[in-house]
Amino acid sequence: MKFLKLTSLFATTAMVGILVAAGGATPVAAQGKTLIIGAVFTPESLDGDINLPGTQNTVVQTYEGITRYGRKKNAQGEEILDSAVIEPHLAESWTTSADGKLVTFKLRRGVKGPSGNEMNADDWVWSWDKSFAQKRTGNFIARVSNVTTSGGGVEKVDDYTVNFHLDGPSSILLKALTLYTPSIYDSKITKDQATAEDPFATKWILKNTAGFGPYHMSELKPGEQAVFTENPNYFGKKPFFDRVVFRMVPSGASRLTLLRAGQIHIAENMTAQQLNELKKDKNVTVRVFPGRSVAAVRMNSKIKPFDDVRVRQAFNFATNKQTIIDTVFLGEGEPARSFVADFIDGGLMGSEPYPYDPVKAKALLADAGYPNGLDVELNYSDINAWEEPMAIQLQNILKESGINVTPKRITGSDMRARSHIKVQDIPFFTYEDGPIVLDAVYAAYLIAHGTGGVSNRTNLSVPRINELIDLARVELDPDKARSMMDELQKIWVEEAPWILTTFTPVGEAYSPKLKGFVSYPDNHERWSDLRLEE
Amino acid sequence: MTTFENFRAEAEPPEYSVGRRMIGLARRSGTATIGLAVVVVFGVVALIAPLIIPYDPVAIFTDRLLQPPSATHWFGTDGNGMDVFSRVLYAARYAFGVAVPAVTISVLIGVPLGLLTGYRGGMFDEVTVRFMDSLRVFPLIVLALAVVAATGQSLLNVILIIGILDSPVFVRLVRAEVLQLRSSTFVEAAVATGNPVRRILFVHLLLNSTKGAMAQVAVRAAWAVRIMATLAFFGVGIEAPTPEWGSMIRQGAEYMATGQWWVGVFPGVALILLVLGFNMMGDGLQDLFDPRRRAEKR
Amino acid sequence: MNVSRFLVRRLLLVVPLLVFITFFTFMLTRLGGGDAAALISGPNSTAAELDMIRAELGLDEPLLTQFWIYISSAVQGDLGVSWVNKRPVLTDLIERLPITLELLFWGVGLGALIGIPVGLRAARDHNQRFDQVVRFFSLLGFSIPTYFLGLVMILVFFYFLGWSPPAMGRISLMITPPPAVTNSYLIDGLIAARWEVVQSAFSQLILPVIAMAIIAAAPIIKQTRAIAMDVLSSEYVRTSEASGLSRRVIQSIVARNSMTPIITFIGTELTALIGTASVLEFIFAWGGMGQYGLQAIIQGDFSAVQGYVLALALFSVIVFVVIDLVVVLIEPRADMSA
Repeated sequence: MKFLKLTSLFATTAMVGILVAAGGATPVAAQGKTLIIGAVFTPESLDGDINLPGTQNTVVQTYEGITRYGRKKNAQGEEILDSAVIEPHLAESWTTSADGKLVTFKLRRGVKGPSGNEMNADDWVWSWDKSFAQKRTGNFIARVSNVTTSGGGVEKVDDYTVNFHLDGPSSILLKALTLYTPSIYDSKITKDQATAEDPFATKWILKNTAGFGPYHMSELKPGEQAVFTENPNYFGKKPFFDRVVFRMVPSGASRLTLLRAGQIHIAENMTAQQLNELKKDKNVTVRVFPGRSVAAVRMNSKIKPFDDVRVRQAFNFATNKQTIIDTVFLGEGEPARSFVADFIDGGLMGSEPYPYDPVKAKALLADAGYPNGLDVELNYSDINAWEEPMAIQLQNILKESGINVTPKRITGSDMRARSHIKVQDIPFFTYEDGPIVLDAVYAAYLIAHGTGGVSNRTNLSVPRINELIDLARVELDPDKARSMMDELQKIWVEEAPWILTTFTPVGEAYSPKLKGFVSYPDNHERWSDLRLEE
Repeated sequence: MTTFENFRAEAEPPEYSVGRRMIGLARRSGTATIGLAVVVVFGVVALIAPLIIPYDPVAIFTDRLLQPPSATHWFGTDGNGMDVFSRVLYAARYAFGVAVPAVTISVLIGVPLGLLTGYRGGMFDEVTVRFMDSLRVFPLIVLALAVVAATGQSLLNVILIIGILDSPVFVRLVRAEVLQLRSSTFVEAAVATGNPVRRILFVHLLLNSTKGAMAQVAVRAAWAVRIMATLAFFGVGIEAPTPEWGSMIRQGAEYMATGQWWVGVFPGVALILLVLGFNMMGDGLQDLFDPRRRAEKR
Repeated sequence: MNVSRFLVRRLLLVVPLLVFITFFTFMLTRLGGGDAAALISGPNSTAAELDMIRAELGLDEPLLTQFWIYISSAVQGDLGVSWVNKRPVLTDLIERLPITLELLFWGVGLGALIGIPVGLRAARDHNQRFDQVVRFFSLLGFSIPTYFLGLVMILVFFYFLGWSPPAMGRISLMITPPPAVTNSYLIDGLIAARWEVVQSAFSQLILPVIAMAIIAAAPIIKQTRAIAMDVLSSEYVRTSEASGLSRRVIQSIVARNSMTPIITFIGTELTALIGTASVLEFIFAWGGMGQYGLQAIIQGDFSAVQGYVLALALFSVIVFVVIDLVVVLIEPRADMSA
């Protein structure tokens, strides 16, 4: 017995000793040119057309667009994107036909992937054919830009020339081509991975990268981390970081502590509260940008009681937007006026459409046949940190107008599945998505279109809105397009498919030594822009 | 007295007044008494919570999010602006509200089943015992989580599932006692004198074999409270913004790293105290009712 | 009866148990009355994928046929595919099992290392001061929720005191892991002779292992004490005492005779403790089977849930058989007809 006791005593002392000695973090800077990111998820898919958690954050680093936005300096001397300027990127130049229905691209030469293969027209055609076949995000982007999706939309002319056939002139196409999807794949590699049942190698693409961007994925351990290494043959400027570790740290609190301790360079997805806390810390840089997606609480126009527009408007009047901003977003942001953010050209101007007015709310409800208020279930999930606090605050606020809200949590995947455009069976739920292209028409097609709007999710279908969107998509005159957008946004606001709260502010927290951040519309920084400065 | 009457007397518990029994209990087991006291305090709090809490547990104070403990909010406020103190106290109702029905279900299923299998024996016994033994290969926490997640998350489900999953303990306990007693003389005598089987079971066996089970009730209650909080911590079974210690710890976990420790620590301490109280009760009672231990005073 | 016959008999008895376990986990997806195909292939699946799953699993067939399909694929190593990360469940489980085992081994080992001597001493001095203090702490150990303990330890030792590294896995992010031999960074680091790996792995292990040890020690102390007290009051010991053997000799007799039931007990406790380890993995972002399984339950990834529950049950069954075997080997007097 004594022996056992002695051993345990020794073991404990030794452990405490080593704990003290080994504790404490080695600061990140001492370790070479590896960028470490504390992420919420390892990418569940590397296919830009299958957007799962972690996909966008990583795919934008390995697959670049045919075009890209220009850059300029803002008032603080920082580099920002200039959405008015479109530069060639994977393309070298392009010409548009007189009727606007044919755009001919000349490919840039010498664009090589890590394997040494040079990009050519076959790659472009294969990649777009893949997106057409999958009929998902890439296909949507093609449609919204008027590219023919029924076959032959993208056609090889010769090894370095490609024709894009459009159904009508498009003001959006060049902007849409800045996107990461349809991704341009190294088709020599992907064709090798294709099988009879899987002609576009989607299974392989899901878990591997084969692009021409500055990084490629060298290792994937799902649930743990993904490692990206620089493309040695990249045609653009050589990035500072030759290695990026995209590490999964599911708890926001852990990401925060890791950032503070200097163990990671970037912490993804911090809540408003955490960002607030981090602002006080000199070891951390926090930047908050106005958001481009509404933290919306959506109402399904086909399910009772929300099939009555008066009820939907009543819910809007019953919500005190400022209180929500103060409690859920800690005072950051303004009440939203439409689904298009202010800073996007074409957003609706004017005053708040539904100021807080419980009296009016009750009156509208009584009109609609609910003089004694009503009971509803609000579904929320864990996809966004604001969803649960939003549900709780709404419950508290709406009861002033006689509306009894019961919050009910569902899984993130349930939420995505049931709000999908083919299903759309949730009556009342929280959801956030917004345009990754800074264009009002794009946003309108995405969100408000009755048949094409993949982010519609609430069965909204107003013929005049659909009509206006379809007209605006082919309207090249900016003034005419602007007045169409104004009209359709006004109608949309009247229809009130959402409780228009506010745009979720986008917060980034990173090490103060990290420089070179340029903000992108998809809210993901590009690793190739970043560098470390002591 | 006749032999038979002697046996009968043996079978009935001695008639002491409740007060004397309590004092006897307290003297013989300090642990059980302290445990009982803690549980009673929590029970009282649970009953009168709506009367004594300073604020409505789901009232939101939009101007006072995440305030540290102060004179106006003794345990501070949480991320939604709700008073932590009121919520911690009110959550005691959910603790008892789940533990009591759950343990009752376990007892109602387990004790009769244990009596039957112990007395009947044979195939029925074999099958039941094997079945229960098979369930032991699953860790209770994981099983509870998986089943509740699969069957839909309502409070009723949670209570039922905890109750059902915990019943094997009682079955085993009662069965073991019954097996021991079955061959004891007084039962033989009872049978010999022509008592109907049912009477034997429910009068003689029930009284004698359930002493051990009674001690277990407290321990199972401790488990029920713990498991419910664990389920809530993983977001299963309890809906926001219901005040429940497990889901409060869930919210508190995120805030611990930013230094707002009060959101998670206070509900955690309350949970530990109540579970400890039940455990102490159970431990003390087990000590009392285990004849081997009792004979042990050295 | 010799050992090998016993082993064969024991293993034969295990078969119906395995069938039962498999049936039970099979039922998990059919419990709620939802669409099993949707649960298994996930909410993002297309209609074509759903049909494929339905055909594969024979979801329109009678329950027994479905069960047969499930068992036959499981036996061949097909436990389905996680719709979250699209990998076969079996692959993920096998990769992660050693990681969980590492935490379990160190945690339970430490818990036993401290718990057994403490329990023995408490039995010896029972009802005295030491015993009462020990019993209280043991009860406390039973009363602290695992996740709370983990969180508080992180709060105190990392956030307030800064003694331990952040809880984000088994090794510091800065260090490239050693080549995987056993999947334990500690051992692999030793094998590869890389000191910084060993040091980092060790410091990451400390908090979760201590938390695990605290939780494991509670039942170990309680049961050791009970067993030792039983032995103390047994005829054998009483006679030895009466015949004047020294205290130290008595103590070692008690210790030796208590070992077998204690080890058996720890074996049965492992079932619950692997559940505890899973929760700790979740809190410490450990990356083992437990984190995988709990995450799957929360997300509704039912193939993974089934695989995880099955793996846990199998682990327990193996442990039980091994314990029985060990008992038989070291104690020839044991009744092998059980």
